[in-house]
Amino acid sequence: MALLEVKDLRTYFSTMEGTVQAVDGVSFEVKEGEAMGLAGESGCGKTTAALSIMRLLPVNGYIKTGTITFNGRNIVKLNPVKLRKIRWKDMSIVFQGAMNALNPVKRVGDQIIEPMLLHENITEEAALKRAKELFELVGINPDRINEYPHEFSGGMRQRVMIAMSLACWPKLIIADEPTTALDVMIQAQIIRLLKNLQRELDLALIMISHDLSVLAETCEKLCIMYAGKIVENGTSVHVFKNGRHPYTRGLVAAFPNIKGVKFMPEPIPGNPPNLIHPPIGCRFYERCKYRQEVCKDNEPQLFEVEPDHWVACHLVQTGVI
Amino acid sequence: MMEKDPLELEEPTEELVIEKVEKADVPPSAPPEEPAEEPAEEETPSPPLDSPHDMTDILRIENLNIWFQMRQGFLKDITTKETRYAKAVDGISFDIKKGEIFCLVGESGCGKTTTGKGILRLVEPTAGSIIFIDDENDPIIKKLLKSEAAITTVDGRKGIDVRKLTRAEMTYARQRIQMIFQDPYESLNPKMTVFDIVAEPLIVNKLYKDEKDKEVRVKKALNEAGLRPPEQFMWRYPHQVSGGQRQRVGIAGALVLSPSLLVADEPISMLDVSIRGEILKLMLDLREKERLSYLFITHDLSVAYVFSDRIGVMYLGRIVELGPTEAVIKNPKHPYTQALITVVPKPDPTAKEEKIILRGERPDPTHIPKGCRFHPRCPYVMDICRVDQPAETEFEPGHWAECFLLSSAKEERKMAELIKKGKKKKFLKLR
Repeated sequence: MALLEVKDLRTYFSTMEGTVQAVDGVSFEVKEGEAMGLAGESGCGKTTAALSIMRLLPVNGYIKTGTITFNGRNIVKLNPVKLRKIRWKDMSIVFQGAMNALNPVKRVGDQIIEPMLLHENITEEAALKRAKELFELVGINPDRINEYPHEFSGGMRQRVMIAMSLACWPKLIIADEPTTALDVMIQAQIIRLLKNLQRELDLALIMISHDLSVLAETCEKLCIMYAGKIVENGTSVHVFKNGRHPYTRGLVAAFPNIKGVKFMPEPIPGNPPNLIHPPIGCRFYERCKYRQEVCKDNEPQLFEVEPDHWVACHLVQTGVI
Repeated sequence: MMEKDPLELEEPTEELVIEKVEKADVPPSAPPEEPAEEPAEEETPSPPLDSPHDMTDILRIENLNIWFQMRQGFLKDITTKETRYAKAVDGISFDIKKGEIFCLVGESGCGKTTTGKGILRLVEPTAGSIIFIDDENDPIIKKLLKSEAAITTVDGRKGIDVRKLTRAEMTYARQRIQMIFQDPYESLNPKMTVFDIVAEPLIVNKLYKDEKDKEVRVKKALNEAGLRPPEQFMWRYPHQVSGGQRQRVGIAGALVLSPSLLVADEPISMLDVSIRGEILKLMLDLREKERLSYLFITHDLSVAYVFSDRIGVMYLGRIVELGPTEAVIKNPKHPYTQALITVVPKPDPTAKEEKIILRGERPDPTHIPKGCRFHPRCPYVMDICRVDQPAETEFEPGHWAECFLLSSAKEERKMAELIKKGKKKKFLKLR
């Protein structure tokens, strides 16, 4: 059985202008020790999906329908007290923007041991000892445990964030754009670190990024999201080598490959739809170069094009493209 | 647009105002509107371009240094004689050909943005020369060439040493050298309409006859930047247009002065992937139509690979490798370039390549290591690297690198041996 199973998740936000249907019927699963990537443009709902899993939505956000089964338990309906027992103990998150996600007035050590003291019955000394081990694991000198966040560089802060997410040895880590603000060299260090940790600790990992090439290097499975829906879901090889959805193809073509043939990144004209009044039919209709009459009013459902490879597109289903 | 440093917005001298000639009104081949002192020149239209770029330089930079003085605290400042500098740019030389896209790549903090700003003198260079060589028939260049102090001769053509221009002249010269900024979310004033943002350079330079003329020129610039029809965008505020359109507004603000050289500082890094291609295409179109040349500054080697003609790889204030794009990417010689290329994420899950991940963080320009500045992170470091600074070695025409491994064939063999023996792994022990 999968460690995490998200079924038909709908997360909405109430705003002054209306209800934003940020995540609208998303389903996927993550097995133990598996790395899954969630990709898409900004505003497509990938971070909202992650925050829904952690139940950390802002006050105006709510889960309308759907189930999130983690370790055999539906956490959507869990009350806050029970939820707190799971959160950070069994699953944790590396927040976007490590630069700002740490508390600037607390020593990093104290920030790391906080969840340990809350979740486990251990002394402060034991917790600090473990924090030092974690520092070593993520490649920071354990002597720096008493420093403040501003004393660390960007890459080091990201490592602190990763150490913090590992504090209680969770089974699942969600990494939200973990390398976006970092230089390529540091990015490569962090990717390697995450990959190694995942292998050594048998972690399940959900990587969220707009950068498909980063996901290509880290994840076995990929979900491509567009305007609150998953449009394609399969192994990384499926998505990159045999991507079927026009949006997936467009995204893949937007990333030049330094080792491959020289081509200009292909733009996808237009903008994502307004999610307060999403289109009735296919959400990619406006920007799709293959669009047909059928796409306008009928919403495509995910169907299996080959084992473990799902696409939501009428035209793929009918064999037009 | 925050194109100009507020300090630089001083009134141009009266002499300059009289001769403000509006290039945008004149078709490219028409004679300049200047009082006919030299009638002979009126018959020489600008020569048509056969290829996107011919081989004449538009910009030549020699031994450019941009240092920032460090403050060490009040007491230390007055008690020590020695002043410390952050050497952001430390002796770089390169040239940009007419119609060429020259790309500077490197990690953040390597000095690439400072170089770009230095060319426009948005930061003052400490030493070196920045020579701008443009069409001598262009009224603005003609005017600038009257400034005796700044004229130098390059390959038989008259060039302007940007560093020797006075402030007023520099403001004037910025009509031909413009900059596009990295973050279209922060570089546009949220209180100004698109029209005001694009018109601002015209106002600063007093370049329009009347309101009507101003509007015509703003519309033209918006059109060129792909915001069509301009009427639809002109009266919006920056928050009312999308990210890609914001960057187009930034580009329009640069185009309104009809520049011939654009310094583009990471113009696409803040944009969504699906619109990056649009902006790159726009820049290519402008090169064809307006004969623009670019200094393209980016940290993304894969974009540099597909977009530029030549690449200069910067590390800690110096260009360590420079050459035609194909050559640098497919046949990198400097260990830093080699490492950088392996760590660029590739959109290919089947790619199996060993990454050369350098240890450590970005280097500190206030503590530049002795000898080769890359030696503390170099996998192939030798004794000599710790002592001497390597000279540039040109191993094929126009492609050179600064590295001791390249300066003699013997050492190159040594490096090959090291790799063969598997010592590379030993050096690259990674986390």
